[in-house]
Amino acid sequence: MSNGSSTISGNDLRRKSRIPNPIAFLEAYFGSGVKMIGLALILLTKTWSLILRGRIDWPETVRQCEMIGLKSFLVVGLTALFTGFAMSLQISRELVLFGADTAIGGVVSLALIREIGPITAGVMVAGRVGSSIAAELTTMMITEQIDALQVMRIDPVEFLVVPRYMAGILMMPTLSVYAMFIGLIAGINIAYGAANIPAATFLDSVKQTILERDFVVHFLKAFINGTIVTTFACAIGLSTKGGAEDVGIATTRSIVWTMTMIFVFNFVVTSLTYAPR
Amino acid sequence: MAQAAETPAIKAVDIHKSFDGRPILRGVSFEVYPGETLAIIGPSGCGKSTILKILCGLLEPDSGEVIKETHDIGLVFQGSALLNSYTVRENLQLALRGRKLSKADEEEQIRKTLALVGLADHLDHYPSELSGGQQKRTSFARAVVYNPRIILYDEPTTGLDPVMSTIIEDYMIELERELHAASIVVTHQYSTWTRTADRIIMMHAGRIVWTGDPSEAVDSDNAYIYQFAHAKREGPMLDA
Repeated sequence: MSNGSSTISGNDLRRKSRIPNPIAFLEAYFGSGVKMIGLALILLTKTWSLILRGRIDWPETVRQCEMIGLKSFLVVGLTALFTGFAMSLQISRELVLFGADTAIGGVVSLALIREIGPITAGVMVAGRVGSSIAAELTTMMITEQIDALQVMRIDPVEFLVVPRYMAGILMMPTLSVYAMFIGLIAGINIAYGAANIPAATFLDSVKQTILERDFVVHFLKAFINGTIVTTFACAIGLSTKGGAEDVGIATTRSIVWTMTMIFVFNFVVTSLTYAPR
Repeated sequence: MAQAAETPAIKAVDIHKSFDGRPILRGVSFEVYPGETLAIIGPSGCGKSTILKILCGLLEPDSGEVIKETHDIGLVFQGSALLNSYTVRENLQLALRGRKLSKADEEEQIRKTLALVGLADHLDHYPSELSGGQQKRTSFARAVVYNPRIILYDEPTTGLDPVMSTIIEDYMIELERELHAASIVVTHQYSTWTRTADRIIMMHAGRIVWTGDPSEAVDSDNAYIYQFAHAKREGPMLDA
């Protein structure tokens, strides 16, 4: 990769930690943030230009789908289950008070399809997979494996980023839908246990409430989350240089960046699609 | 050895490079001919590895030019740089990617190259299952599996025990004989430059301060090479 690292290494942090001027400190950190977004956008552009030219390593993409998708099923399922339990309990309690028991299914499903499903899957994949991608690529940078690829005239973006990105945008919607269904199952159980609402009534309410648009927005959010997690994690991994401690720093940065961006873009999409007109 | 009339396989012309405003290379020029091994020696931080990265295209010089007869360059990294999640065979397959070899030819080339470095029976091992010396030899095999005309070695024997260093040096000599490639070895290991090099350039603070052949190095009256070859504390290299 290019020589000029645009991100903060361990040495940079130590140097910056000695800066007494808070303005200079803020400048350094905001400057690094702008650079990070720029790097991610450049990487995303290059990734898409390769995808559109059909330069996709499918066997490696399948392997990454296993890493990103299959191995996340348990943790995403557990998170969605308990989030579904807690959310349904709160909603059931309030709606029962207002005598709107039959609306429990609709409200729970709306929350799951519009917000909780994509967010739960996105955040869990960002924590489990994004950090792992950043650590792996940073290690490859530090141990000159990326340099070795370039000497062998293998494009690191095509070889490393495209399969991870493809796996991200394929598996994130799958995980989001899965999280939504697990949440629904939790909701059905809580609605029955806490408000004595039969599953059939719950599902009737779901059918009457959910619109086609909700599914479109759900998949849009999941696609964006897949893009955010893989692009930022790869950009951080491929732009970090230094030593072993920089692997830890890159991992932390990846989690912070991907989770923050997931919440920011979730709000942007929600406000563009559901804001009152 | 190179013929005087031959065209250099690789030529560096007045290379300058700075990092963060700090000059690392200040006008480095040399050429290497097919079948010749040039050792670049000098103290740590003198710009040896930087020039190697410029020669293989990993870095761009600020000014100056690298003229190569081919873009097929093999680089043996100091830390082996093998892809950890790939087996020995897969690491070598990566180097052959895009060369349009049939599966059978590819396998034969990989087996032949691994046999050259004594690792024919380690095809399906992962790097973590190999010793340091075996990893270094795999790195050698990966660098030469496509028969490059130019081979670069970055500190090939640093950190190895004397016996393994000798084995690696023997492989370097054998590879030069087999492939007739132009080789450049960046090293500060005495045995490596005296055993493998046909010609030496000594660098200090980003400049070439001495050029000669290994037999001249020890007896030279040049203060830099004298201090380096005799491992003296006193001399022009203040960092020593």
